[in-house]
Amino acid sequence: MKIVRRTALAMVASIAASATLLSGGIANAEMPAPLDNPGDVKIALVRYLSTGDFFQAYLSGVEAQAEALGVDLRVFDSRQDAALQADMVDQAIALGVDGIVIQHGLTESMKEAAQRAVDAGIKVVAFDVNVENEAIPQIEQSDYLLGKLALEQAIEDNGNEWKAGYVYVPGIAPLDRRHVAWEEIKEANPGIEEVAQMGTLDNPIANSNANQARSVLQANPDISVFFAPYNEFAKGVKIAVDEAGMSSDVSIYSADVSTADIAQMREPGSAWKATVATNPAVVGEVSVRALAMMLAGEDPGAQVIVPPTLITQAFLNENDISNMEDLSAKLPQFAHADVAMTDWMPLPPR
Amino acid sequence: MSVDSTPDQTTGDGSNTEALPRRKRATLVDHSIRYGFLGLLLGLIVFFSIFASGFAGPRSAVFIFQSVAITGILALGVTCTLVVGGFDLSIGSVATSSMMLAAYMMVIFEQSAFVTIVACLAMGAFIGLINGLLIVKTRVPDLLATLGMMFLLVGLQRIPTEGRSIATGMTLPDGSTAEGTFSPFFLAMGRHRIDLVLEDLIPVSVIFLIVIGILVWIFLEMTRHGRLMYAIGSNERAASLTGTNVNNYKIMAYMISGTLASVGGMLLAARLGRGDIASGTNLLLDAVAAALIGFAVLGAAKPNAFGTAMGALFVGILLQGLTMMNAPYYTQDFIKGFVLVIALVFTFSLSARKAGSH
Amino acid sequence: MSTLSCRISAIDKAFGENRVLCKLSLDLPAGTVTALMGANGAGKSTLVKILSGVHARDGGSIELLGAPFAPATPSQAIRAGVVTVHQNINDGVIPDLDVASNLMIDQLAERQYGFMIKRARLLAEARRVAARMGLDDIDVRTPVSELGVADRQLIAIARAMAHEPKLLILDEPTSSLSAAEAERLFALIETLKAHGVAILYISHRMSDIRRIADRVVSMRDGEISGVFEGPEIDYEGAVQAMLGHRMTEVDITIPPAGQPVVGLRDVRLKADSPAFSLDLGDKEIVVVTGLLGSGKTALAQALFGMASPYAGTITLDGKPFAPKSPGDAVRRGVFMSPKDRASNAVIQDFDLARNMTVPFLSRYGRLAFIDRRKERRTAQDMIDALSIVCQSEADGIGTLSGGNQQKVMLGRWLAQPSRLLILDEPFQGVDIRARRDIGRKIRETARDRATLVLVAELDEAFEIADRIVVFHDHAAAAEFRNENIDVNAVLAAVTGSPADARGKSRQAA
Repeated sequence: MKIVRRTALAMVASIAASATLLSGGIANAEMPAPLDNPGDVKIALVRYLSTGDFFQAYLSGVEAQAEALGVDLRVFDSRQDAALQADMVDQAIALGVDGIVIQHGLTESMKEAAQRAVDAGIKVVAFDVNVENEAIPQIEQSDYLLGKLALEQAIEDNGNEWKAGYVYVPGIAPLDRRHVAWEEIKEANPGIEEVAQMGTLDNPIANSNANQARSVLQANPDISVFFAPYNEFAKGVKIAVDEAGMSSDVSIYSADVSTADIAQMREPGSAWKATVATNPAVVGEVSVRALAMMLAGEDPGAQVIVPPTLITQAFLNENDISNMEDLSAKLPQFAHADVAMTDWMPLPPR
Repeated sequence: MSVDSTPDQTTGDGSNTEALPRRKRATLVDHSIRYGFLGLLLGLIVFFSIFASGFAGPRSAVFIFQSVAITGILALGVTCTLVVGGFDLSIGSVATSSMMLAAYMMVIFEQSAFVTIVACLAMGAFIGLINGLLIVKTRVPDLLATLGMMFLLVGLQRIPTEGRSIATGMTLPDGSTAEGTFSPFFLAMGRHRIDLVLEDLIPVSVIFLIVIGILVWIFLEMTRHGRLMYAIGSNERAASLTGTNVNNYKIMAYMISGTLASVGGMLLAARLGRGDIASGTNLLLDAVAAALIGFAVLGAAKPNAFGTAMGALFVGILLQGLTMMNAPYYTQDFIKGFVLVIALVFTFSLSARKAGSH
Repeated sequence: MSTLSCRISAIDKAFGENRVLCKLSLDLPAGTVTALMGANGAGKSTLVKILSGVHARDGGSIELLGAPFAPATPSQAIRAGVVTVHQNINDGVIPDLDVASNLMIDQLAERQYGFMIKRARLLAEARRVAARMGLDDIDVRTPVSELGVADRQLIAIARAMAHEPKLLILDEPTSSLSAAEAERLFALIETLKAHGVAILYISHRMSDIRRIADRVVSMRDGEISGVFEGPEIDYEGAVQAMLGHRMTEVDITIPPAGQPVVGLRDVRLKADSPAFSLDLGDKEIVVVTGLLGSGKTALAQALFGMASPYAGTITLDGKPFAPKSPGDAVRRGVFMSPKDRASNAVIQDFDLARNMTVPFLSRYGRLAFIDRRKERRTAQDMIDALSIVCQSEADGIGTLSGGNQQKVMLGRWLAQPSRLLILDEPFQGVDIRARRDIGRKIRETARDRATLVLVAELDEAFEIADRIVVFHDHAAAAEFRNENIDVNAVLAAVTGSPADARGKSRQAA
């Protein structure tokens, strides 16, 4: 199974490599026009989703990379209002920005707005939303790989015969993509049996899922692995497992990570064994870097994929990691993704 | 003393018919309205005991209580505002703000559990006071005042951490790291379990729910303050003309609601072990649903503590049972809504019957 | 003058058990102003609502210009030519729209008007209607919210005129107008009269009625109690017919004067009303009577802490008394049973016992807890004392008849000793038997307090009072001892007759 993972990583690396101009040169070199005069360059971040740690970290990455480049960043936040988000793209056009990062949104509402921006001669990149436009590169964290890496770790830890609980809310794009990995793993390992599926996005999400997981565990005390491919889900499942006194019997595998999650995973006897994550701050940086490349007339590629990293409980304990900063320091591939890089690209200080 | 020369023919209205109030007869319909909901609850328990494996049993019963503890406490608060004829839409966000405050006090200010609890309760009462003052002094309609407060709090709870959740070890906006931890005593409120027959059976949060439920019930049903609050809810002007200080009671109702919401928030913080950014809308909706379903319990047709507790339990049993039977989440929302509609039909057809009997 | 515009024959109307109109017949000739007088609850507003299509009648018939008239909705009534201008002016106009839209609103509501507003035509037509009504000085584009009360009233009437009515009903049209504004309205009414419109004018203001009415109709207990017309209208007779005059053989024994309890000195209830003084002693029942708007309610509000008098002082047992809220007044021993019990007193969700114990809950039990048994006992005692007809003290208040509900409201305030008990319209919506029970109970319990009863009907005053004080223009205008009382003198005082009549009544008192 390790081979699969390596292949996957290699694949990611190759995509990343093809996306970058292969030139491991010196940072802070003279930047190409128009970035040689970065104070005059305006870029806009047009957001659909903004509340939550992930989006907060993403924003900080965007801000950090924009600062490193020295460009003027404007942030438009539509707070899950699809129509407003499209209007905000028009506002950005009216503002005369040079580049736009579209962060999430709906294909239907953003497709035309994005085309208008492109028509206005503005460079556009889109993160996690498909605007069906060839001129617009997609920045993605690979949700499929997030799920895949977590499940491979589960098989490595537990063998390939176990009863599983699964947390899933259909219709949420990243969860749907992670779901594909789950289906594949089940297909490939007939010994894995999904005995219960649950999941809700009622907030506080962890609390609502804890209640559900409690019922699932009560009804299915033979579950030994819980696949909860979103950290809020995993958090809820962990609460339920603790409350049911089953911490030693159940292992939880998830995706995404936050400081609070690290503490949860490192609790003595914690059932939360591993998670796979892309650093959202890095995704933010990559989004801006890809945009910068386009502004300089270079091509970041149609798809820029930020590779995920496996984070195990054992790794956290061995390195005494207590927060995201520690994690970035001890796990370099988590702190920095070598995608959308050029020799002239200045990087945020670390 | 004499009145009229012709005493008996002079009245236009029915002085003869008024003497006999209509005799009340407990029909089948009356019974079904009175006990229908409790019967339904019982039926539900029997159904799940048979069809959902692991449903029957003390542990299952306890965690159903636990799953409704927080919304139940919020619902008891909203019941108090419903009693005075008001409504509190801000409880969900008061709860999540209280959760954030608890986490902030302990993780960032490194305060003790006691100080944290006092701060959260004070915040809840203070928000209730502001709600009450907005409603009685500035005459802002209750729904609008508390809706405004809801938005305000959803935003306010994010300001100190710039929108991040609070957990030990988090990086603060100024770049330093938060070193404080949740006090074990505080965490125990959401996590500790008490031995009762079985080891580790009853979670502390369930005790909170039961104690608060009994206190609110006693307050509303047995004290004169509760009685006067019901009087205000039924006819505010009449209550005021009996010398009741209507404004004070209304403010008090919102303060109770805010304080109970802050208790709910603390239990949430203790269970999650961190301060989570959340709007609390689902907490609000579930709590309101419980309180409204409570109208139908025992044919009360008015807000009442016992009904609210039963309403919360009803929703809890339904959701946990369905989860055990592997029903997807959207069917649960559907069924929650369905139950609420049925309860409201119970309630309003009942009050129509009451009015009709006059 | 002689053509009949509207003939109302033997109409009946009941709400549940409550018969409001009883075989009522009335003719309304064209080109005539008929003033309709009646105390509260006489059935005036029900009659108006039947004519304007709000309520359906139970029996009888109405003819309009010889054709049968039975409107099912207000708009049918308007189309048939019966137009009503309601007392609450804001029911008659839409403040946020301009004058033109207000004048034409009924046309806009017609289906055949079409989808779009034809602005120019609308303005032109509105100007025409306004000019015909003598409202040339108002710009039809002004929003109504910027106009004064009088202009709004005139617009409501002008709007009514857009329908070319056969019968125009004006419900208390001058209640919020100044004298000059009222004069404008009267001029308009004269114009309409000349156009042959029959006008039904409902008012309590004798001065208005004297000024404008061609005939006066009195209503009482759902029946017409008198029609007064001809060159010399007998206004006092009309008031007498309205207030009831079946003279009672009063056998009230007036107790010897007790200690003064409440003293009002040079009190002015309104900025422009005269000052008056009034003393209320214990053992004594003082009835304050007067027409609607004579200031009875203002007096009660001043004593019960709901409003403070404009000037003057009030004392209670010799000490200054200026309650800031009803709660304040109750603590000082001043209780009030308000009028309109359904909206001001009855708590529908509570049973009989709970309704009774609301003001003094702290008496029942220790700390804040209520001793239910004690509460029930009190309620049972009151049920016996007041002969309340019910099954038990746990009956819902809504299951009781009006009279028994009123007894419960009285019991509410008799449960505790008071210094001053104010009863505002305690006989409102109460049948004769309950009325006697209530009156007897009030007199029985009057020993240790001052009692102030506010009633509009003179009958009720004579039944219960030791002393009758007539209010006029927010002040005590005359006073009578309830012994061998000269009914006509009381009536004269009530209608606010010339000064000499009042002087005479002063002597009588």
